[in-house]
Amino acid sequence: MSRTSSAVWAVFQKDVTAELRRKVALVAILFFAATSLALVAYAVGAFRLPPEDRPPLQAALLWIILFFAAATGLPRAFVAEEESGTGLALRKTVPAVFVLAGKTLFNFVLFLAIAAVAIPGFLVFLNWTVGSPAAMAATILAGGFGLAVASTFLSALVARAGQRGVLFPLIAFPLVVPLLLAAISATIEASAGNFPTAPLRVLVAYDGAASCGAYMLAGVAWED
Amino acid sequence: MKALKLLLLPYMAAVIAAAFLWPEPAKGFIGESSRIVFFHVPCAWTSTLAFLVAAVYSALFLWKGNPWFDDVAAAAVRIGLLFGVLTLITGSLFANIMWGTWWNWDPRESSYLLLVFLYAAYLFLRSAVEDPDRRPRIAAAYALFAVVLMPFLTFVAPRITASLHPQTVINPQGKILMDTPTRAVFFGALAGFSALFLWMLSIEARAGRLARRDLGAERPAAST
Repeated sequence: MSRTSSAVWAVFQKDVTAELRRKVALVAILFFAATSLALVAYAVGAFRLPPEDRPPLQAALLWIILFFAAATGLPRAFVAEEESGTGLALRKTVPAVFVLAGKTLFNFVLFLAIAAVAIPGFLVFLNWTVGSPAAMAATILAGGFGLAVASTFLSALVARAGQRGVLFPLIAFPLVVPLLLAAISATIEASAGNFPTAPLRVLVAYDGAASCGAYMLAGVAWED
Repeated sequence: MKALKLLLLPYMAAVIAAAFLWPEPAKGFIGESSRIVFFHVPCAWTSTLAFLVAAVYSALFLWKGNPWFDDVAAAAVRIGLLFGVLTLITGSLFANIMWGTWWNWDPRESSYLLLVFLYAAYLFLRSAVEDPDRRPRIAAAYALFAVVLMPFLTFVAPRITASLHPQTVINPQGKILMDTPTRAVFFGALAGFSALFLWMLSIEARAGRLARRDLGAERPAAST
């Protein structure tokens, strides 16, 4: 294993171990996803929406649940380091780019865990049907990766700012709206059984642009 | 330079007068409402120009480390926000005349609102970072990350769903759909607003530099 991948993997493993040791944060995020899903299912129900309005509304509701559940957990990537006082040690031992990549990987896995709770619940409680599971999987992977990259980078920016809890949604929301719009559009297509070529292209382009931006600016955001 | 600044006043007066007197109102619009294009689009252009200038000066700050570049970047964002709000107000006036509502969540108007939020977040982020040495670095990183994702907000997101917005300048044909007098006043207004922006930027950036020096002068006195 090269030095790069072993450093990224080490950061990822450290975050997984720390999160599994605490458990509270992880359980809280998954509980948030389950609770918001239950709320949507209770308010909207499986058959209360008119059939013609179901695809866009269900897609929008799914991504609102995924985004807000993720928004409770993804900003913790760098903030947790500052709160536990380990930020300085991490800065001195691992280059910023590897820290960012490791934490992005962790956040991506966290997003997939949230999706693993929310999507089966959506299928069962809202009688949601996915015509093309492969297209839906591609949408979740591309949307989740973009969300993880942008959130992890912005978490590094706010890690040492005041009012972090309020600041993160303020700076993240306008930046991730295009990603969410494309993800919702792709989900509508995937539900109908079509392959969402155009929205997936937008998602992949967003992922690429956000990754390049984060890679180039990682040192500025995280190091002193 | 001073002569150019003095010339700007009669030039802008001439552009405003021409906007109301020279071109015929465009067909397909209610009354004289199409004349708003001479103010609304230049405001949007100036605001976008200001955000691009902010990104360029943020990059220069990270490269050279000269705090003057950060003063210019922050000033450009403040002025960009002013023109961004003017864009939203003029767009809202037009929407009320044409469609009978001040705000109709048209994709292009929504994405512009998010663009204003995005750069308002830049100012929130600046004020939340208390360390004066870290503040410009964090702000510059955010400005550059934002400009990488800005095309998704301004060009991609509005095209994911259908829009009511007139396409006289940016359209699939790639043509400017205007007659000669309209085109002359329109480009005259663009040039005038751009020059006005540069003048405002030089004043605002110098004010920023003075404020920074005042704060710098106060810091050692406060510590003693």
